[in-house]
Amino acid sequence: MENFFYNDDDRVTGPEVVTGKATFAAEHQVPGVTYGVLVGSNIANGSISALDTKAAERAPGVLAVISHLNAPPVPGYEPPKEPEKLPAGGKGLQVFSGPEIYFNGQPIVLVIADTFERATYAASLVKAQYQTNKPQTDFTEAGKSVEAVPGARYKDNIRGDAAAYKTAPVTLEAEYIVPVEVHNPMELHAIIARWDADDKVTVYDKTQGVKSTQRSIVSAFKLKEENVQVFAPFVGGGFGSALRTWPHEIAALLGAKKIGRPVKLVLTRNQMFLMVGYRPYTLQKIGLGATTDGKLVGISHQADSITSMYEEFTEGSVNVSKIMYACPNVFTRYHIYPFNVSTPTWMRGPGEATGTFALESALDELSYKLNMDPVELRLLNYAETDPETGKPYSSKFLKEAFELGVEAFGWKQRNPVVGSMKEGQLQVGYGMATGVFGAYRGVAKAVARIYADGSLVVQSAVSDSGPGTATAMVQVAASVMNMPKDKISFELGDASMPPGPTQGGSATTSTLGSAVFAVCTSLQEKMAALAVKNAVFYANELDEIKPSDFIFEDGFIVLASDKSKKISYTELLKQNKVNQLEATEESRPDGKMKDYVAYSYSVHFVKVLVNPATGMVTVDKVVIAGDAGKIISPKTAESQMIGGAVGGIGMALMEEGIIDNRYGRWVNNNFADYHVPVHADVPPIQAIFVNKPDPLLNPIGAKGMGEIALIGFAAAVANAVYHATGKRVRDLPITPDKLI
Amino acid sequence: MINFDYVRAASQKAVTDLLGKDPTAKIIAGGTNLVDLMKRGVEAPEKLIDITRLPLGKIEQVDNLVHIGALVPNSELAAHPLIAEKFPLLVQALHAGASPQLRNMATVGGNMMQRTRCTYFYDTVLPCNKRKPGSGCAAIGGHNRMHAIFGASQNCIAVHPSDMCVALAALEAKVMVSGNKGERKILFKDFHRLPGDTPAQDNNLQRGELITGISIPLAERFSKHATYLKVRDRHSYAFALVSVAAALQLDGNKIQDARIAMGGVAHKPWRLYAAEDFLKGKSATTQNFKEAAALAMKDAKAYEGNHFKLTLAPNSIVQALQTITRNI
Amino acid sequence: MNDEQSPIKKEQEQMHHARRNFLKQSAFLSALAIAPPALVKAAEKNMDEQAAAFFEQKALKLEVNGKPYQLSVEPRVTLLDLLREQLHLTGTKKGCDFGQCGACTVHVDGQRVLSCMSLAVMQDGKKVTTIEGLAKGDKLHPMQQAFITHDGFQCGYCTPGQIMSAVACVREGHAGSANEIREYMSGNICRCGAYPNIVKAIMEVKEKGGNI
Repeated sequence: MENFFYNDDDRVTGPEVVTGKATFAAEHQVPGVTYGVLVGSNIANGSISALDTKAAERAPGVLAVISHLNAPPVPGYEPPKEPEKLPAGGKGLQVFSGPEIYFNGQPIVLVIADTFERATYAASLVKAQYQTNKPQTDFTEAGKSVEAVPGARYKDNIRGDAAAYKTAPVTLEAEYIVPVEVHNPMELHAIIARWDADDKVTVYDKTQGVKSTQRSIVSAFKLKEENVQVFAPFVGGGFGSALRTWPHEIAALLGAKKIGRPVKLVLTRNQMFLMVGYRPYTLQKIGLGATTDGKLVGISHQADSITSMYEEFTEGSVNVSKIMYACPNVFTRYHIYPFNVSTPTWMRGPGEATGTFALESALDELSYKLNMDPVELRLLNYAETDPETGKPYSSKFLKEAFELGVEAFGWKQRNPVVGSMKEGQLQVGYGMATGVFGAYRGVAKAVARIYADGSLVVQSAVSDSGPGTATAMVQVAASVMNMPKDKISFELGDASMPPGPTQGGSATTSTLGSAVFAVCTSLQEKMAALAVKNAVFYANELDEIKPSDFIFEDGFIVLASDKSKKISYTELLKQNKVNQLEATEESRPDGKMKDYVAYSYSVHFVKVLVNPATGMVTVDKVVIAGDAGKIISPKTAESQMIGGAVGGIGMALMEEGIIDNRYGRWVNNNFADYHVPVHADVPPIQAIFVNKPDPLLNPIGAKGMGEIALIGFAAAVANAVYHATGKRVRDLPITPDKLI
Repeated sequence: MINFDYVRAASQKAVTDLLGKDPTAKIIAGGTNLVDLMKRGVEAPEKLIDITRLPLGKIEQVDNLVHIGALVPNSELAAHPLIAEKFPLLVQALHAGASPQLRNMATVGGNMMQRTRCTYFYDTVLPCNKRKPGSGCAAIGGHNRMHAIFGASQNCIAVHPSDMCVALAALEAKVMVSGNKGERKILFKDFHRLPGDTPAQDNNLQRGELITGISIPLAERFSKHATYLKVRDRHSYAFALVSVAAALQLDGNKIQDARIAMGGVAHKPWRLYAAEDFLKGKSATTQNFKEAAALAMKDAKAYEGNHFKLTLAPNSIVQALQTITRNI
Repeated sequence: MNDEQSPIKKEQEQMHHARRNFLKQSAFLSALAIAPPALVKAAEKNMDEQAAAFFEQKALKLEVNGKPYQLSVEPRVTLLDLLREQLHLTGTKKGCDFGQCGACTVHVDGQRVLSCMSLAVMQDGKKVTTIEGLAKGDKLHPMQQAFITHDGFQCGYCTPGQIMSAVACVREGHAGSANEIREYMSGNICRCGAYPNIVKAIMEVKEKGGNI
């Protein structure tokens, strides 16, 4: 299949978004809707000893005040099978199921009233008393007074000799800290829940996966799948925070059940820090050993990370050290420690972004010890096959990405001497780092219908939280069907459509694009089957025409051997008196990848300006070169890379969630104190793609992109800051106080 | 938020009468801080007196004074040709504050009345002497990276968050106030106060008084060599770690007079009198700037999280002075 | 602009209840004769809280996107919540509700302001323009079109606020250079990171000129 993709790929959601007509979770007009507001606990550890809700119940407009004392049961909340063990990830907090408090801000009461203002006021009247235990939120106690969660998955991983790095001629040992960072999509997490019958519910929800939300509700309330309707036509960002179903969603469902009316529940920005996940604090210890000419002899990478008191959470922070470089000896260890915090969750570039900050900073430190260009050091240790398995890559164009990036950025103008480059009074630094993330393909189903008016509608039950999934899928459909994209629409955000993947892990385009490819191909076969009988293709009756004799060109079925013989899709349907043709296909990974591995790669080049007096860092120039396979939708792909860089600027320079350990309580859970980048922090950003298809992963050649855009970026900034100032900041973020 | 009563004031007198009658009443103008505080339960007035329709929106020059009405929005003030010409320092400080939308809403009077941004002040669960006298200061021994290094007390180490006020302190503005007992003027340096034993009080305005405006004495000798430097965690829309409003009267390379004030370092805009005195008569050299900065830092005291300000503050003073003398 | 401390105190709450109780008890007796239908209805059903609330609402005249509204709102209702929850104009977004993100930016009497920090009742007699009022019929405003052309958004949630702010940025004369645009757009946070494309969109609109 020769793929072509339109370059004028304006987002298909554009007109709705820019006119304010795009409807996000809290914006669906549901008759009789009421307003729910959650009250959080004031302590981080202990239990509720008394709850005074009288004033709230008496307040004007209040319809219900729900807590563990009166909440309807959630049939799917089962007691833990091994109560002494920390439950596995995915169990979640069982909201309103008991008086126990595990973290500060834990939802303890839901107040429902007829208006938002009345619900908010009534919520302020709820008074709780607690039996309080000392909270443990001091992450530096991990491995000291706080013991690691035991389990087989936390065992050491050793390739070759674990201690080899120590005996190398050139060695480096350093510790790196990535603090708590919070997704903070601009849309507040929100849900409208409505029970249509005792066993039937409709929700409008902020979710990165309409099907996964449906499954969660099915399992929590023991309902039939077809009785749980989930809508999410527009999702205002996620970055991972909307990958799972959280307590507030179950709370809204409980509330709606209790009062028999729809409930709208929107988290406050403060609550966005407390109960919908975050990137966990991680302390990493890196050991590197190399020969004097720069060949890596050994890598040691240990990470200590955090989780909640009620659930495990793990991510692949140390995996990058296993797969990034050709190195015979690699030791990795990953431990998690429970604290009085809510459960973390995957945040853009999960694990790898954390791990890469450490590994790619350490590589940079090593490059100075070796007196070697950081790009050269990476090329010298380039992995031609997967270091972990020895398998070949289905595709790897990282070298090409290096070349493109070095050229576009002007890397060769870098004077390698630290502190040698200046612009006026400002110190100039050039830094770079690499990012890697697995390229995946999952299972997806899609339906396609072509109508007699020539329009094509493709559907799958997925969400789009920003990457532009519908735009990319229209591109795939247009490419396969070889028809103008303005005739095509891709519909999503409705759980009753054929099941699609959850939007995460940079796999949506690969997974869903494969399904769209399959369903469009299948639709073509159906069209071809109709066309073989059509008189237009027959010069005489003896001709024998098979479906494979056709090609599809610009909205026409064309006889390959005689291009003058053709019929438009519209005419074909009309002549056959069919209103529409429909195909449904499920696509799953085939066997082609059995003996291969697949990764996407990025190379980040950053120029910073540092004011030596004030310590303020300006990111002045950014180039990201990516190997993400075939680029399906150039404009949205470029935007996604730019967005990753902006997220990376936040991670590198300003984002840090802070808890006051005396109270176990967040102190900066708002947008004034938790800084994310604003316009003034972001320079023009150039995103470049190698844009070569992966031949094996899927039929469309795309790998993934959302994660690699961010992974490695923070290290590139830290490396540039070192180059400018000689100050190596190993604990993010790099705020002015660390540079003066 | 409780459902307060709302009254639109028809006259200044009505405002002061209402304030006198109702101890829980509060004035609202731009609302950019008060609405925020009410949403968080930090403030819960039973009555709000909307003064936005009062005729306090003028900017005019009278003899050697520029009068600015209390209701002039920050953006309008920054864009006014008279202010641009006479007080570029004030324009720079205004632009350094908040965002364009907030500057369109926030008024001169409200800017002066804004409360601290200390995180503990905003969290009604935690101790804060400013919010709840006697409850303690959670910032001491807590997260106090943003907090004061000058003039703090054992009861409060919060800082005043305004940029505009730092420039007004350097420009020696006066605050015009109207109350039941008539009108009075307050020197800018006496308007805001240090926390001492009563951190709940941010300033010396009396109950029932209304700010009607400010007046700034013309001081063209300072207008050519002035700058506002704001150091923060991101490049815009963030409160200051430290800020410096500096203006020099120069004769060639010689400093005839100096005005320097800092933000982000104290419970009020912090004038650096000792540094100003030192610089008078000296040459504009980096060495002199450094000595002045060192003098300014004499009484500085850091807490757990803000030791860096002991370096950042003098660095910023020197940088600001270098900036305004770069092209002389 | 006084500085009296008034944290939520028991006394105040009691006062508040006392006032409400007074309203509840006296409202029907004194007001029925002159009461509008809504109140009579509430009284008939003995919905005393609703009746009490009626007395705590204020009349409000507002023009939104050229359409006049005569409303009655609780004084604590923000312009943002009025638009979204009562007028169903959900194009204006709630991103933080504390003046820290810019998603709720609208124009009031031509000025860009944050609707989350604006009490609705204080806007009496004013003209409000929201994202829904920017296009002329089906014809997009040049800024809306430029945001599409330059891909100035990803998830689209901050976009209405960005566009309202961008239009004001150009009208104010603050779009003279990329750096000036960055500074004057810094009150609008975009977590997807569409900033560079937004700057391009604004530059294009500025350069094309014309009456925007």
